Formats: sequence, structure tokens, C-alpha cells
Amino acid sequence: MKTALLLAGLLALFANPRPLHAQDNRKTEARRLALELAGAFSNDGFRLRDGHWCETVAAGRPRLVEVNLHAGNLYWFSLASADPSIPVTLTVYDETGRLMEGERLAEPGRAAAAFAPKTSGPYYLKVDTSSPELTTFCLLYSYR
Amino acid sequence: MRCAIRRAIGRGLIPRLILGLAAWLCLQSARAAAPLLDPPPPAAPRLNAEEIAQIVRIDEISIPTPGELLAAVDKTGKLDWAARFRAPIATGFRSRAQMALNLGGLVADGYIAVQAQDAQQVKNIGRDIVALARPLGVHQDLINRGKSVTDFASESQWEPLREELEATQNEAKIALAENKDSKLIELVTIGGWLRGAEALATHVSLQYAPQTAALLRQPGIAHFLNEHLDALPEKLREDAVIRAIRPKLARVEQIVSFGAGQIPTQQDAAELSRLLVDALAEIGRRDVK
Repeated sequence: MKTALLLAGLLALFANPRPLHAQDNRKTEARRLALELAGAFSNDGFRLRDGHWCETVAAGRPRLVEVNLHAGNLYWFSLASADPSIPVTLTVYDETGRLMEGERLAEPGRAAAAFAPKTSGPYYLKVDTSSPELTTFCLLYSYR
Repeated sequence: MRCAIRRAIGRGLIPRLILGLAAWLCLQSARAAAPLLDPPPPAAPRLNAEEIAQIVRIDEISIPTPGELLAAVDKTGKLDWAARFRAPIATGFRSRAQMALNLGGLVADGYIAVQAQDAQQVKNIGRDIVALARPLGVHQDLINRGKSVTDFASESQWEPLREELEATQNEAKIALAENKDSKLIELVTIGGWLRGAEALATHVSLQYAPQTAALLRQPGIAHFLNEHLDALPEKLREDAVIRAIRPKLARVEQIVSFGAGQIPTQQDAAELSRLLVDALAEIGRRDVK
């Protein structure tokens, strides 16, 4: 019985290569990479909002968050995956769920979207990936 | 124990287990070394109902800071921000809900003073923020911020001041969460939003311009904040100041939820201004009934 438990314990150890305590580290890394990306916009006079959204995403299970934007401001949304090899995308939708066009940047593990709302109100940001495994990401934004 | 291991070896279980583990480890390394995945599918032109249902709203990113609103207002033309100052508020409240609401309002006052580039006003507000935060138990966290606010104001460094005010608000929220006062966090946000919206509504009601009036459209924010008021624990919901502002905020949500293509009239702005001025007065009163 003890042997069986020992073997089960060993298996559990190997079967969970990403233990729970590592989740915070991945969020920190994703945030660091997102901040690095947003840094480029700060040089262009954009103020970084001191807030972020760190979550996990997998193919077929996109994540969406509401942001409330003011007409007249220009926004850059910066997204980074904790794993730079995982492709991630970021898209902006209006409150009726219609896709909004704007400048987009994409590089491995990171994406950014610029948006200048003509109307103040709620908008939705969609984070997606093609990775079948859960990927930790972090999203933040700057405005000018 | 030994017998069990011998039996397992005899049945060939352990070699099979080791082989299995080795295969699993190889698979993991192969995955790690795999080439980049295909890019995700192109964006759909519309969100589907399932996606809309799972949209999340969180204070940290869904609710803009007063600074974002004021930045947008600034683009509509020159505004006399000093005319939007209000008289100093009291800081000796007994209700923690009231302290949190006023703390948010003071941070918004700070943004307005920065827009007006009035160093003395910023310093006064910085002092009030620290005084108000003391009984909330977040005093220590804010002392350094208060000092930075004063230093930056003395040197007329307006951009770092904006960052410092945002950081001050966040520090206060973090400290509230650490002190197990997380229900007060949204009250700080509500206080800040009410003060920012009041400054805008009052300006629009006095010097009407359609472009500025359009900025009063903030249905998502008002809805989010009203939902949080509704979800407060009963003890907080029964706080006199919360009872006093809830009906006003419900009406505020109606006014700021006009259609995307519409522009509110000067009368709409005046009604909104009155409601927000009243709500802020209730929040600032020591004897709310």
C-alpha cells in the first residue's frame, strides 16, 4: 500500500510540471514582458495606466475583458504571454460586439492594438491563442 | 514493503513504470523544442453570444482613472480647471465607507489641481489624503506618496504628479485589501469617479459644447459601480452615506447611458451636475442621516 502511495506521489510530481506556486511567477513574467512592450509607447508620450489583467488562455477558449474608453484619447493595449514562443492575438470590439479596426503589432508571444474611440463608452478586448495548452498572459494599456 | 517491491519487480511493473516515465519526459522535451505554433485564427467580425457572456469587468482595468477622463476633456479646448476646485472637505469621519469614498474624491481633486497646475492646491490635497487615510489603516503606505506629491508639486513636475496620484490611489486600494477591507476598494473608485464626473458635468452645464458633452457618456462605468454598491455586505449597504447616494447614482446611471450617437443637452448636464454635487455633499457631510 505504502509503495503504491509512493509511486502515485512520484507520478503526481512528474505529471504536474507546472505546480500552482509557479503561476504567480508566470504572471510576473507576463507582466514584465507586457510592460516592456508598453515602454515603447511611453516614449511617444503615452501614460501607462497603473493596472493590469493577468489570466490564462488556450485555443478555443479566448478571454474577454471590458474597458471603458473616452473619445478623444488614443489608446495602446499591450499584451504579452509568459512564454514568448506562444502566439497571442489581441482584438478590440465595440459594445455591440463589432470588430474595431486600428493599428496592430504582432510578434512572438506579444501583441499590441491601437485604438482611438470616436464614441465614449465600453469596449471589449479579446485575447486569443493557437496554443492548446493554458498560457498565462498579461494585458495593460496606455493612453494619450 | 520489500516483498511488495519484489512482487512488483517479478511482475515487471517497475521497469514498465520507468519506461513510461522516460517516454513522458521525452514527450515533454519534444513539446518544449517544438517549432512556433500557427498564429491564432483571424479575428471574427463580431463577438458571438457565448463570448459576450464571458466578458469580465475588473476595477484595475475596466474602470478608467480620473486622469484619463481629464486627459480627454483637455482635448476639447482650454478649460478653467481652477474654477472646478471645491472647498476643502472634512477629514474626521467615523464611517469607513465615508472615508473610502472621500479618499477617492480627494485623489480626483488632486488630478484637477494638477490640470490647473496649482502647486499649493496639490500640496493641500496631498495632506488631506494622508490625514483621511490614517484612520483607514493605510497611513504608513501613503506617507511616502504624500511626500512625493508635495515634492513634485514644489517643483511643478506635473507629469510625475499624475503618476503619483494614480499610484496613491492604487496604494490605498492595496492597503485596504491587505487590511481585509476589500469591500471598501470600489468605494474609493466610486468617490474618484463621482468627483471627476461632477467636474465635467458642471463644466458642460456652464459652458456647453457638444464635443465635451459627449464625454458624459459613461454607461459601463456607472453600471459597474452601481452593481458593486448593490453587492456590498448588508452592514455597508445600510451605512447612512451609502443609503444617501444609492438613489442618486441610479439616476446618474440613467443620464450617462444615452445612445452612442446621441449628445446630451445642456439641461441633461445641469441635472447630472446637480445630482453629483448633491452626492458629493452627502459624502462630505459628517452628520449624514
